[in-house]
Amino acid sequence: MALKPVTTPDTEAATISLNIDGETVTAKEGVSLYDVISSMGKIVPAMCYHYTFDPFGSCGMCLVLQEGKKSPVRSCTAKATEGMVIRTDGEDLFAARKKAVEKHLSVHPLDCPVCDADGHCELQDMAFEHQVTDLANAKQKNIPEDTRSLVLDFNMNRCIACGECINICKDVQRIDALQFMKKGGFTQVVAKGDHALDCEFCGDCLAVCPVGAITNKFSKYVYKPWQLRKTTTTCNYCGDGCQMYVETKDTEVVRVTSPLSWKNKWGDRGDTVNGHGGLCVRGRFGFQFIDSKERLKEPLVRNETGLAPTPWIEALDTTAERLTDIKSRYGSEAIAGLITARCTNEELYVFQRFMRTVLGTNNLDSSARYGHMNFVRAVHHALGINRTMNTSADLTKAKAILVVGANVTETNPVASLRVKAAIGTYKASVIVVDSMQTNLAKLASHPMMVKPGSEGAFIKGLVKSVLEQDLIDPDATAQAPEALSALKAAARAVSLDAVAAETGIPVETIQEAARIFAEAPRSVILCGEGIVRQPDGYNHTLSLVDLAWVTGKLNKPGCGINTFTEEGNEQGAVDMGVAPEFLPGPVPCAQAEARQKFSEAWDAPLPDAQSGKSLVEILDDCRAGKIKALYLVGENPLGTLPKSFGVEEALSQLELLIYQDPFLTETAHYAHVVFPACTFAEKDGTVTNQEGMVQFLRPALDPLGESALDWHIMVGLANGMGQSLPYENTQDIQAEIRKVLPGYYNLGEPRPVVADAVAYLRNGYADSVRARYADGRAQKSGRPYGLKLIQLIYHSGKLSTKASGLMDISPNAGALRMSLEECERLGLAEGGRVRVTSDHGSLELGVQADVNVLPGTCAFPEHFNEPPVKDLVRVVVDPITHVPYFKSTQVTIEKV
Amino acid sequence: MDTQKQTTRLLDAVLFREIWKAMKVTFKHMFHRPMTFQYPREKRTIPDAHRGALGLLRYDNGQERCVGCDLCEAACPSRCIKVISEEDKSLPLQRYATEFYIDITKCVFCGYCVEACPVNALAMTKMYEYSTHDKRTLMFDKQRLYEIGDQHLEDAKKYLYAHNQEQDDEESRTYRYHFPQPIGKTEASDS
Repeated sequence: MALKPVTTPDTEAATISLNIDGETVTAKEGVSLYDVISSMGKIVPAMCYHYTFDPFGSCGMCLVLQEGKKSPVRSCTAKATEGMVIRTDGEDLFAARKKAVEKHLSVHPLDCPVCDADGHCELQDMAFEHQVTDLANAKQKNIPEDTRSLVLDFNMNRCIACGECINICKDVQRIDALQFMKKGGFTQVVAKGDHALDCEFCGDCLAVCPVGAITNKFSKYVYKPWQLRKTTTTCNYCGDGCQMYVETKDTEVVRVTSPLSWKNKWGDRGDTVNGHGGLCVRGRFGFQFIDSKERLKEPLVRNETGLAPTPWIEALDTTAERLTDIKSRYGSEAIAGLITARCTNEELYVFQRFMRTVLGTNNLDSSARYGHMNFVRAVHHALGINRTMNTSADLTKAKAILVVGANVTETNPVASLRVKAAIGTYKASVIVVDSMQTNLAKLASHPMMVKPGSEGAFIKGLVKSVLEQDLIDPDATAQAPEALSALKAAARAVSLDAVAAETGIPVETIQEAARIFAEAPRSVILCGEGIVRQPDGYNHTLSLVDLAWVTGKLNKPGCGINTFTEEGNEQGAVDMGVAPEFLPGPVPCAQAEARQKFSEAWDAPLPDAQSGKSLVEILDDCRAGKIKALYLVGENPLGTLPKSFGVEEALSQLELLIYQDPFLTETAHYAHVVFPACTFAEKDGTVTNQEGMVQFLRPALDPLGESALDWHIMVGLANGMGQSLPYENTQDIQAEIRKVLPGYYNLGEPRPVVADAVAYLRNGYADSVRARYADGRAQKSGRPYGLKLIQLIYHSGKLSTKASGLMDISPNAGALRMSLEECERLGLAEGGRVRVTSDHGSLELGVQADVNVLPGTCAFPEHFNEPPVKDLVRVVVDPITHVPYFKSTQVTIEKV
Repeated sequence: MDTQKQTTRLLDAVLFREIWKAMKVTFKHMFHRPMTFQYPREKRTIPDAHRGALGLLRYDNGQERCVGCDLCEAACPSRCIKVISEEDKSLPLQRYATEFYIDITKCVFCGYCVEACPVNALAMTKMYEYSTHDKRTLMFDKQRLYEIGDQHLEDAKKYLYAHNQEQDDEESRTYRYHFPQPIGKTEASDS
């Protein structure tokens, strides 16, 4: 319902009954009258109403007659009360509504032919429906168009002041970037303070604008809605897996729209706990890479002169021949493969089957290894599950949320709206622990800015504080009392004062945070890149499990531990067993039963479970010359890992580097064969989002040029090697996945997971917990500043740098982000330059003041390699999960 | 009865009556003005409402009328029109067609596109002679359409008048939109 949900997990509203058009209806007390009417299936026109925010009541269309009142009332702002008698139809109401449309139209320019909303305009529909033909006293506003913003143009002549844009920005996005302003005699929508609009550019205002007042610069005037073919698919940028409509014209993508639109305005406000249907800036405006000119269109094979275009059949044949040759000369162990987690589940499945059965090697990994694997391994080890525990509904309705090391508004903007709704609508206490002043921290009830790299210490401090304040849940800990005493013993090594000193958060605040988390009936932990991509990510995740366990938040409904993923299908990569330690499921690769099952299903022996190497080991072995052939599917290790890791040496050692990607990246320059792959918009298949929901990708375009689906290429290679994989289309692969993983495609409903920590707590917990809590102190570096490679909302990995729209919004400034105080202290004006020195290199670059960066830290976006800030960092490899950590280091900064 | 019928037939045969009947028509036409005319040396006068080849028109100052609104494409029952539009950054709020195609081989000359056009940029002309050896030239592009419009401007205007769509520029403003509308404050005060 548009009004704030009257029924929350804590309160139940009373039921009332009222009479609408002669029918008796029951409703919850406090809901809007308009919602009661629309829940009956009656459609009363309304132009300023949308179920995702509070009713505004400006359009004057939703008029109904209430018995006992002379004039019609606006049903959206009226609350339904007991015994109301309402009439929604009739000639008098039609005339009143027509008058309202005429009022709007009389100041609306009739420039429909050039307007982008033509054919998708509520005012047009209303004028048609109410037969408005004659407009007396029509006048023009003659307001010049506001084109100052990078993304959106505001044509206030067309505005009907419905306020939907302002309301969605305020109530749903909680950014509040727009406002009404009286200017030139008219009420206009302007960016806050009448500056150029500079916000997150989620484009939700554009989606809900019922007329053409807000238009999109990237597709302005190039389309009419009826020319476009709309394909429902899933966004591939991050793990949120938002549904979106890719709208294409012939062979180009014209725009991307969202299920959120003024067209579907009827709904229950309570449903927004599952998402509001909108997109973020990446999904909505970052589509240009799909039909980019830079895309690879044909296979390339290296000859004496360089990479030369080659027909598919020849390229596949030579590659298969060379793979067979390497396999026979050096054995299967000398071949390895890496795949990006932007591929579909089906492609990931075929990839691991291809590697394991055709090439016979267990050296395979995906980009989930860069962080998500830490979380998966930790919860797999401790709780026997393989993904996040909560749905977005749990997150929204939580009473306390601990967001630790997760800048969710930047990395997963749409999922972060659930946390924002928890704060705003459901009044949750949110504890944000981060070394940046994140946008969520600005909204949260308990923001805690820790020193860089001390998130792990803070978690230990929380556990310690829970034990000290006796916030232990007796039921949960009763299952394993010896584990509780082991934890208590281990926590003796942690002192709250030391934690306070290390993190910079006072002891009382840590204690308060622990109290809030432990005492709330529904507490959710959300950890992100600041935990799983930073050193000791695995151990820190286990500490979060400790915290959830002792406070009894593991098995209660609405409680749990969660993470958000960076790439579209990292969860799918884990589920499909694209890792040396997992088979599809995921089940441990060493498990005899599973090995039996899969070797029967694939009719081939499986490679030895112990022989498998993960990403870091594969690259190490390439450098050592042990691996001779590497198959890279969409992976660009050269662009991702720091130079000191020696990717360049590793790749140049190879006898055969097969590179498969939509773009010719820096890694491709070392390739012997380059296969052109498709982007997500040309693919058919499924992806699994971070919640475990399996969603469809549908092809919006035919593959560009001669580019091919990733799994087609793998099947082609297998055929060339004389071992055919039995797939002709995506459905064949899906049928096989259904067979080996029953229930994986579960109609979009994630399978509920049940955490079971008992086995973990009873076996060897004492040793592991002692080791984890023993050395609380991070090694002090002589360098005062913490350098973080951060993710920006406008970008995702390196893929978004190929989208011209996103590059327009957020170009590579090539500047180090520092806090205002630090800039002042170092005497740096805007545009000043500094020399940044780490233990591994030194670099001169510009400086940019950023209010979100805390003093003592500096940040650089990880999406850009120019200047090569990433090379200042050395890779630290996790001893257990082999996750490479290269997102932070200590540096010194001097003014040049 | 039978004998009378037979006599008539015999007489017809002897007197060549059928020939005379036919010759009567021939002789009558010898004194009649000819119905046919010697195309292509002579040409028919075509009514103003005639639906011939389509052309794109300009305003009197030479500016393209078409705003690339694509309504013609939407109205076309045989789907022979394709419009590609873009923003003209030099003028405020100006949209124009970068490409405009009419596949005249598919056109059914219904004139719906002309009716749909909000700016009267399209009109039908009296041009009907465009037979060719190369079918590809029958895909009229924007340049060709403007050429047709420029050559047959008078006819096109007559067509619009005959179909009650436009009288003169000023008068048509009352019921047709004239683009670009002056939008900015300064332009508004000028006009």
